[in-house]
Amino acid sequence: MLENVPLTWEEVARVYGRKIYNFAYRLAGNPDDAADLTQEVLLRVKKGLAGYQPGSFEGWLWRITRNAFLDDIRRRKRRPTAPLPDEVDRLAGHSSPAPDEILASVRLGEDIQAALLELPFDFREAVVLCDVVGLTYEEISTAVAAPIGTVRSRIHRGRKMLKGLLR
Amino acid sequence: MNHPGELLSAFLDGEVTEEERSRVAHHLAGCEPCREELSDLNSSRTAVRSLLLLELPAGLVPPEDDGVEVPILARRPPVWIAAAAAAILALFVGIATILAPPTTLEVRLDQLSDQYGARTSLEPAITPRTPVPVIERGAGTIE
Repeated sequence: MLENVPLTWEEVARVYGRKIYNFAYRLAGNPDDAADLTQEVLLRVKKGLAGYQPGSFEGWLWRITRNAFLDDIRRRKRRPTAPLPDEVDRLAGHSSPAPDEILASVRLGEDIQAALLELPFDFREAVVLCDVVGLTYEEISTAVAAPIGTVRSRIHRGRKMLKGLLR
Repeated sequence: MNHPGELLSAFLDGEVTEEERSRVAHHLAGCEPCREELSDLNSSRTAVRSLLLLELPAGLVPPEDDGVEVPILARRPPVWIAAAAAAILALFVGIATILAPPTTLEVRLDQLSDQYGARTSLEPAITPRTPVPVIERGAGTIE
């Protein structure tokens, strides 16, 4: 995506900000850490954009994002916290589904989020990059600096673990 | 064939070669346990994909410039595109001048570009997959 297209950091923020936030939320499990991480990633993008070499922009961006997350984990040395039940306030779109549909969706979302947080980080990261962010295996491989075979294995094992946790 | 194992997730995602896809599909046709595993994997995949896309908290991303979106075409096209467009237009004008009877020498360029499609050559050759508005540099900051 956007190969060889020079972007300003403001454009990166607008185009990718929401994806970065969602990736961060699904990894961290709470809105405060997700917001802090998004801010940190955008600062790193601002600093690093001038030195960006045309290539896989997505890979570059998500590598920055996961490195920021790992740095944060190392710095705080604490496990991600459980998700907060405030997704109702953050619902995307305005198609006005019925209130009971929203609640059911949020409860299910909390279960899935809690299960995601039970996964080892490498598995959670691969699953989220694939199924939330929507990257290809090749883009994930670039982002996490691992061979495609490893990405394939992490996604597979992550999904198998999720199935067990969601039973 | 051995059970496909990790290939099953890649199969679901379309991240297999044609040869692998064919091999897995053939195996699935005769292996009930693998069909069940595929179903389990698919339910996990669907569950994560069903997660709501959360809105960005306010203030994380620089605001639009006064909420006024400038069309993407306002971007200045590369010089070579403008030069190529000028050359094409000049060619059309030249041809029209030669072919047209003397009474129609007054040629309207906008009609020519509509007629011959030259207008499209004035658009940027490369546009981002997601259109982004043009804003003033440094208009937004992260607090």
